[in-house]
Amino acid sequence: MLEDLRTVLSSPEYMGYFWQGFGHTILISLIAVAIGLVLGFIVAIVKIAATQNKWMKIPAFLCNIYTTVVRGTPVAVQLFLMVFVIMAIPGVKPAAIILTFGINSGAYVSENIRAGILSVDKGQMEAGRSLGIPWTQTMVRIVFPQAIKNVIPAIGNEMIALLKETSIINLVGATVGQLTFDINAAASQIIPKVGYLAPTIVAACLYLIIVYAMVLIIKLVEGRLRKSDRR
Amino acid sequence: MIAVKNLYKNFGKTPVLKAVSTTVEKGEKVVIIGPSGSGKSTLLRCMNLLEDPTYGEVWVDGKLITPVDPYLHPDLIALSSTCRRLCAEGMTEEDAVARIKREDLLRKFEGAAFRKAVRSRYKENYLDINLVRRKIGMVFQHFNLFNNKTVLDNMTLAPVTLKLKTKAEAEERAYALLRRIGLEDKANVYPSTLSGGQKQRIAIVRALAMEPEYMLFDEPTSALDPEMVGEVLELMKELADTGMTMVIVTHEMGFAREVGTRVLFMADGAIAEEGTPDEIFSAPESPRLREFLSKVL
Repeated sequence: MLEDLRTVLSSPEYMGYFWQGFGHTILISLIAVAIGLVLGFIVAIVKIAATQNKWMKIPAFLCNIYTTVVRGTPVAVQLFLMVFVIMAIPGVKPAAIILTFGINSGAYVSENIRAGILSVDKGQMEAGRSLGIPWTQTMVRIVFPQAIKNVIPAIGNEMIALLKETSIINLVGATVGQLTFDINAAASQIIPKVGYLAPTIVAACLYLIIVYAMVLIIKLVEGRLRKSDRR
Repeated sequence: MIAVKNLYKNFGKTPVLKAVSTTVEKGEKVVIIGPSGSGKSTLLRCMNLLEDPTYGEVWVDGKLITPVDPYLHPDLIALSSTCRRLCAEGMTEEDAVARIKREDLLRKFEGAAFRKAVRSRYKENYLDINLVRRKIGMVFQHFNLFNNKTVLDNMTLAPVTLKLKTKAEAEERAYALLRRIGLEDKANVYPSTLSGGQKQRIAIVRALAMEPEYMLFDEPTSALDPEMVGEVLELMKELADTGMTMVIVTHEMGFAREVGTRVLFMADGAIAEEGTPDEIFSAPESPRLREFLSKVL
């Protein structure tokens, strides 16, 4: 076993696959998280605004369909659908994959943000409104900042889940031309040559490193935002 | 002047307010008392539309802040198709209007003329609620200071956001108010570090930072530790002495008696008795009020 591990770690060819996968996993996750955050934020706002404004009812209905469908189907199915049906154009496969994860994560993030907004005491909104500040401004200046603080742990969780979900990219093919897609794809390239054990352990360690780094960053952000809670 | 006309409020199917009418004149200190669940807070919250009344109208300084309630306007009822139908059946217009009012006969669709008249009545009298709220300060039972803002930001947020004052002016005013309540040294701390009494006094001066003409108090001392009630009541008394128009929902009967110019006793969603503090506390008429007073005094 150690022998295998040494073979993998000392082979520039194998490690090349891994470093490529490592970089791509981070890149895919970062872009997907960004898409997810923007999408989730918009969907959450539309759903909350619909309780106030009747013109938002139809957009909110569409948003509800979106969250229901996305949360109700496995991400592997969505990936197949996106890559082989909706965006089955040669050359856009990476974009299709990133988009799938972004859209998928958006649905979960939107529910997290919505819950965060609802968890802020109703009195905060009432106080703002009673001073004559319009709904939107009270939302932006008072409710959101407090909601974000509450949802950082949940969104962090969602980001970690997203990062690990990227390991199913394998299902739609491990490479585009010379490029290895992600860590897991890299492992599956090496497995036929040296067996399962060593590549899998290396892949696991690489995932662990990224996730642990994310956890540290999330903690840092949380600490910053908790400033006003300190006594 | 805040005028509440024939106000009904239902929460789902539960009626909370039933045909409440009252007028708060400039300079009055109206105290609303009554058992819990009698609709005191709901009435107060309808005055600045934190609660939307189900029926009825609220007017502030001659401006309508709720939708038009056609039942309050006989000339509007006369335009309805129901009224025209009744007239065609041989009733006089006056009788028809009276019957529609009595038996709640207006339907959702009452013809184009009616709809147009209602809309134009609304347009003539309505004023945007956000503008109205600027001159009605409100103090809540649970203070509702903005948790993510320092005390100073709490007080300057509204005037600065609404562009009524520059930041410097607003801060100057905020410091003056904080000095008045002796909490100047708390300007840059977050609300979570304050005691209940301090929070409530800051909530009061936060409302005053908007230079309101009216102040609504929703049980301002109910969530406070007993030793902190005094300082809040003291500040409210001071405020009353400056001639501020105040509507106060409270369980502090001593305060009601001392500061109030008029007392409303509410029971089961209606104003059961109304009068000067002397009349209410020394010579209560209804048995309901007598029973209530015997419990709280």
